Amino acid sequence: MPAITVDNLTKSFGQTVALDDLSFRVEEGEVFGFLGPNGAGKSTTINIVLDFARPTAGEISVLGMDAQRYSRDIRQRTGVLPEGVELYDRLTARQHLEFAIDSKNADDDPEALLERVGLVDAIDRKAGGYSKGMAQRLMLAMALVGEPDLLILDEPSTGLDPNGAREMRDIVREESERGATVFFSSHIMEQVEAVCDRVGILRDGKMVAVDSVEGLRDSVEGGTTLRVTVDRIDDDALQAVRSLPDVSNATVQGQNPPTVVVAVDGSKTAVLSALEDRGIEIRDFETTEASLEDVFQSYTTDAGTEVHAR
Amino acid sequence: MSTDTSTGTGSVDSGGSTSSSINLESVRAVAKKDFQDAVRSWLFWGLSAFFFALLVVVTGALSYFGEDIAAQGATTDMLVVFVSQITKLVVPLIALVLGWKSIAGERESGSIKVLLSLPHSRKDVLLGKLLGRSAVLSVSLTVGFVLAAVVVAALLGAFDIVDYAGLLVMSIVFGVAYMSIAVSLSSLTSSTTMAGAAMFGVFVLFYVVWNALQQVFRLLSQREILFFDTVSYTAEIGGQEVQAERLQDWVYFVMNLDPGQAYTNGLTLLTDVDALESQVAYSAQLFGGELPIFLQDWFSFLILLFWIVVPLAVALYRFDRVDL
Repeated sequence: MPAITVDNLTKSFGQTVALDDLSFRVEEGEVFGFLGPNGAGKSTTINIVLDFARPTAGEISVLGMDAQRYSRDIRQRTGVLPEGVELYDRLTARQHLEFAIDSKNADDDPEALLERVGLVDAIDRKAGGYSKGMAQRLMLAMALVGEPDLLILDEPSTGLDPNGAREMRDIVREESERGATVFFSSHIMEQVEAVCDRVGILRDGKMVAVDSVEGLRDSVEGGTTLRVTVDRIDDDALQAVRSLPDVSNATVQGQNPPTVVVAVDGSKTAVLSALEDRGIEIRDFETTEASLEDVFQSYTTDAGTEVHAR
Repeated sequence: MSTDTSTGTGSVDSGGSTSSSINLESVRAVAKKDFQDAVRSWLFWGLSAFFFALLVVVTGALSYFGEDIAAQGATTDMLVVFVSQITKLVVPLIALVLGWKSIAGERESGSIKVLLSLPHSRKDVLLGKLLGRSAVLSVSLTVGFVLAAVVVAALLGAFDIVDYAGLLVMSIVFGVAYMSIAVSLSSLTSSTTMAGAAMFGVFVLFYVVWNALQQVFRLLSQREILFFDTVSYTAEIGGQEVQAERLQDWVYFVMNLDPGQAYTNGLTLLTDVDALESQVAYSAQLFGGELPIFLQDWFSFLILLFWIVVPLAVALYRFDRVDL
């Protein structure tokens, strides 16, 4: 049974279509990265999954239950870290957690939860004085109350320093090992890269790609870039490189000495041989793997590299 | 939720229910958190101090200036009359200020998503907020009244605890009615600006428009406009029979729908204050000695109940259907 099933979900606000016939599944036990630039519809999707907003059309089921009709039961088994919300300024971290524990009929220890998120020192301080990072840690602790079967984390790294972001990823891994499904939204690829089993990329209310991190990397043409520094270059040699089956693009950068930049999807030695065959001396070469940021860019901007239809 | 099967039955039980169900445990949890949050604000202690000061000042004035009143043993009576005139204006203001941001503020800051990420329904949140905020108002009233009781009893020769408690209870009911209006309106708006405008509108409605209504009706009746014709009655003033004109029954009914009017009327039931009772006797003359149902003191409780239930019912219905 999938943890989240979204079928043909459409959500319009007046004339604006925020989500356009969106369908995807999050399998039980996986860590699913929900990526997209700001305004792509990530929060709208999460709002509908949690019944904060109602769909214009479509079916959503969470933990096997209809998201509208059984919202309370769903939320009983789900831990949520909402995005960009304020805490209760006058309540301490302990009171926040006691409220969550009380609400879920759980029996967690507030201190142990805060230990996990590294906020135990501030347990009896009022949340009004917290930094953004501390508030985020407290909300993560609240999400962990009651060992939820599903964790929905909306931009969880907001306000966290690199160290905090790493700790947050560690917790995601721990929760995943415990057996929880994690649904993790972000607009920054590198944050989901390290922890997610699969990634879905949302753009303008549509899912443009759903795949594993590796699969996404492969899907972008010119996954590897080969930079060859040569003594000279001519059109004939460049054409020969371009005509190779694994090469999608080849350009020349610089003059003294020139560098041939080749987007290649297979054999790199074929490129080097093609150049040498035409009497060009290779002085140096390096390869760079397409970063996931490039992959993300290619899916979410029109100017990016072309992508394979998958 | 695998480890706490023994305690996890409270809301899991509601399996099969819709998201808009009401769970009393949830309502209690939300109310408790809301109260905890408010009790730590200066507002709560400021209110308690205010009610305390109000009672002590009125009492002080009575004991200083009111020798005649004291001689009649009517000091608590007068205290109730004076204080109720002030609370009639102040309690609604406080309720509207306390309730103003209750839901709209949480929607604006997004913290309502913290509440609703937990297994509470929207109805639970609405009811919990109303309970929590009403508790803040009621407890601050009670703290102020109880602390002031010592001073009042010391300064006023005769202290009538029943009248005093009656004023407190009536003020709480009155406050809850306005709180229901405030919280409900707050839930119907998505911004605190709109909510604030709605609160202002309510105050203007009952304290300006409603007060003007009687004049308007009288003017209309003078022009003999349909439905506004007057009824004549006989009253006894100073032993003399006087023939006079009054407006029709339904006009009085409309006038009495004002929660503030209901508050004053209700006080006559809960207290034994002569000044209020004589007002009732005078009113009765308008209707030939027997007050119509809607002017009787017990009916004012129905009116206050109406103002608690109706806004809340509308809000419970609407709030379940909006996008947050």
